[in-house]
Amino acid sequence: MAKITIDGTEHEFEEGMNLFEAVRQANGQPLPHFCYHPGLPIAGVCRMCQVEIEGVPKLVIACNAQVRDGMVVRTDTDKVKETVRTILNFHLLHHPVDCPVCDQAGECALQDFYMDYGLYEPEIDQEEKIAKGKVKPIGDLVMLDAERCVLCARCTRFTSEITKTHELGIFNRGNHAEIDVAPGMTLDNNYSLNTVDICPVGALTSRDFRFKKRVWWLKDTESICDGCATGCNSRLSHDDGVLYRARPRPNPEVNQYWMCDHGRLLYKRVGSQDRLRQPSLREADGPRPISWDGALAEFEELAADRQLVFVGSPHASLEELHALARLARACEGTVLGHRLAGTEMGEADDLLLSADRTPNEEGARRLGLEPFEPAALAAAAGPDRMLVVLMNDLAALSEEAAAALDGFGAVVGLLTHEGPTAARSTLVLPVWTTAEKEGLFVNRQGRAQVFHRAVDAPPHTRDAVEVLAEIGRRRGHEGLPSTVAALRAEIAGTVDGFGALADGVGPEGVPLDSGERTEVQS
Amino acid sequence: MPDCPRILSARWELPDAHTLAVYEAQGGYSALRKVLAEMKPEQVREEVKNSGLRGRGGAGFPTGVKWGFVPQNTGKKNYLLVNADESEPGTFKDRFIMDYDPHLMIEGAIISSYAIESNDCFIYIRGEYGWLVDRVQAAVDEAYAKGYLGKNILGSGFDCEMIVHKGAGAYICGEETGLINSLEGRKGQPRIKPPFPAVVGFLESPTIVNNVETVSAVPWIVENGAEAYRAIGTEKSPGTKLFSVSGPVKRPGVYEIPMGLPLKELIFGQEYCQGMLDGVELKACIPGGSSVPVLTAEETLACNIDYESFAEHGTMLGSGGCIVIGNDASMPELLKVLLQFYHHESCGQCTPCREGTGWLDMLLERLLAGEGRPKDLELLEHICSGMAGTTICVLADAAVMPTRSFLQKFRSEFEALLPEVEEIEDYVPTTSSAEMPK
Repeated sequence: MAKITIDGTEHEFEEGMNLFEAVRQANGQPLPHFCYHPGLPIAGVCRMCQVEIEGVPKLVIACNAQVRDGMVVRTDTDKVKETVRTILNFHLLHHPVDCPVCDQAGECALQDFYMDYGLYEPEIDQEEKIAKGKVKPIGDLVMLDAERCVLCARCTRFTSEITKTHELGIFNRGNHAEIDVAPGMTLDNNYSLNTVDICPVGALTSRDFRFKKRVWWLKDTESICDGCATGCNSRLSHDDGVLYRARPRPNPEVNQYWMCDHGRLLYKRVGSQDRLRQPSLREADGPRPISWDGALAEFEELAADRQLVFVGSPHASLEELHALARLARACEGTVLGHRLAGTEMGEADDLLLSADRTPNEEGARRLGLEPFEPAALAAAAGPDRMLVVLMNDLAALSEEAAAALDGFGAVVGLLTHEGPTAARSTLVLPVWTTAEKEGLFVNRQGRAQVFHRAVDAPPHTRDAVEVLAEIGRRRGHEGLPSTVAALRAEIAGTVDGFGALADGVGPEGVPLDSGERTEVQS
Repeated sequence: MPDCPRILSARWELPDAHTLAVYEAQGGYSALRKVLAEMKPEQVREEVKNSGLRGRGGAGFPTGVKWGFVPQNTGKKNYLLVNADESEPGTFKDRFIMDYDPHLMIEGAIISSYAIESNDCFIYIRGEYGWLVDRVQAAVDEAYAKGYLGKNILGSGFDCEMIVHKGAGAYICGEETGLINSLEGRKGQPRIKPPFPAVVGFLESPTIVNNVETVSAVPWIVENGAEAYRAIGTEKSPGTKLFSVSGPVKRPGVYEIPMGLPLKELIFGQEYCQGMLDGVELKACIPGGSSVPVLTAEETLACNIDYESFAEHGTMLGSGGCIVIGNDASMPELLKVLLQFYHHESCGQCTPCREGTGWLDMLLERLLAGEGRPKDLELLEHICSGMAGTTICVLADAAVMPTRSFLQKFRSEFEALLPEVEEIEDYVPTTSSAEMPK
């Protein structure tokens, strides 16, 4: 450990630690900066994070300095402030200052630092500006406004060092230098929207999000991406019950600072047209809406003289799967498994995206659930059997499975979206999506990660854990846990390998014990 | 200074001095023979360190000390890159070596490679020196043919490959890490330091970048010894230095001078420039290449050509590009020329340089066009304060040093460009509210 004095206060940090990060921790806020990003190699070009180090004649940029024992650092001297103020002025020299029409306004580093450093009398004349490109689509999801760019080189370092796809470059030199896509290329890799996140100004904006909402109206909720088994930590931005975007939340153990475009755009499914919004009976002439009370009574009727077969899902939360298992045990039904073997797989990349496109496969397996073949579903069918499907669009994944559904006396789907399974169900009970509920997923590393409710679900939908408990209660099984908290406590206390949940799950998740889990071929 | 040996320019006047035959006839490659037969690399390093030879590209860093930074036994190759990207306005000395005596540089580079235990040497020549690329390449080919380059040089077991590389024409590639990036095929932009190239340089390997003139002094030093070199010049600035003199003098050109020579002697001495052109008086002098602070006539006459004396007078020896300025020149116009150069050559990486060089240039243009504003001189100084010492390399400082010194020492010429104060008090906006369309 090294003792270091920052602005008069002594701190202990590891010898050799990045000085920018040390100052961030010591002062509780970062130094002004554009080019520094903890997930990218150091560029040292914006020159904003200047500090004074005792014994060093010139100012030093903190991002390229390391903590040394006995170092005395000052970030608040007049020399530092004046230099940073002047350098900020350089950044603004050719910037169009078009904040009123810029989508970055409100989360723009240039705006923030301008306010912090009080540059109220700019020394720049409007007619002296060099005009660069505007509103150039450089990929399906990213828009470039080169004239707003401060040339921090974050996006170019991202495409050269992280994705290694090299679409972006800085062309020309001096004050004619400009970000652009390489000739003949488009920014179309699956991580393109990360460039929008890391762009400190309004040069790169999301074509999906721009002009949808001013960012100061948005509230953020911590979530977990449900697009694949990686479980990227995310932040859902929403206002007035509407989701506007998903962005990565740093987690060094899982996704560092990044998230893929595929996962980001899944938020659109939450409020989509095909979302199930109220319980319905599926009859020959189409769905017939029904009240929840009527629906649950209908469930009773359908189940009265039938044996229950349950199917879970790798899309359901840990708590939902446990609730399903508890209900099945109470009703003496059988749980067939959680997944049609071999389905919902895609291509993996070597960055974040997993081949398995479901968020909770690992959790389901650790709860003892196993994948099953369509033949097993067909074998379990019969007119005296009723299938209860939780958040699994079986019929969409396999024609054989779809046919098997018709072999059941009744099918009840606790589902989120319209689809082949809903169409083949007898009774459909609409439940909540990841963005609308609380819960845990276990990612491919065996890390339990918590997601929170960002927006309210449509009014006539219900939380699956509540519905499952209610079904149990109506069948005379009192006391089934009906809340996420109760289910989570029960999992922690009673299921092998989940003990780590007992101490709570923080924002970065909890690694579960390697646990006893059966390897199942998929 | 008749007793001063000509170390770098001895053969320039000889016919066909650029050929191996003439070079050998004049004793060329004897230093290399001596080194390979009698000296170990560390002995060469020690000799050059003791000689006090300082980098001739501009920074003046002791060459032997720089060589000592190369870590040995890293398992990686060491590289020697000879910096022939000479592009600073006023500097044209390396081109004389390459044009008239390329084998001197080649011999120096081979010995320097041996000293830093490198088997790979690149000569990076600026793109605008196209004909010199051919000249140097022809000399390298001759040296290969004679066994001075290649495998097992002169039977010593030492291998040295030499590649002549033509740059694409950018001043910034003369900055050593910019040169390394350019040579690697990247954009010619300086790298952030640390790490320094001696440890992590070309292809992430230990690399020494030396100026043409620096390596060209090495053969004489190893042949005659460090003491002989130290006997020339001053204690802190030993040896000789090439000065390229331009401006309204009778005999502009490149001169090899012993360190410590009065600057006055270089400009007015019969052996050198022989004074100002008739009818022109000395007004100022930029002694070391366009990026060092300007000297007034008085200072010029009081200054000696060595690192210490230049420092005392607030300027630098730099690359030895001495620009003499006559009383017929306008200092603001001259500054505009320099700033246009730095504006054009800024790589654009660091914000203070990218924006600052352009802003300074734009303000000078405005002043010269008669469109100056009352606070423009203060603004120039303010921009300089944001650029000085705040960037990865010293290109920003190179623009700041002439700007500051011109403004300080010749302020009245700049003030004459400012508008009368009364004009400002009567200033009426061109679009007044009365003129606004209804």
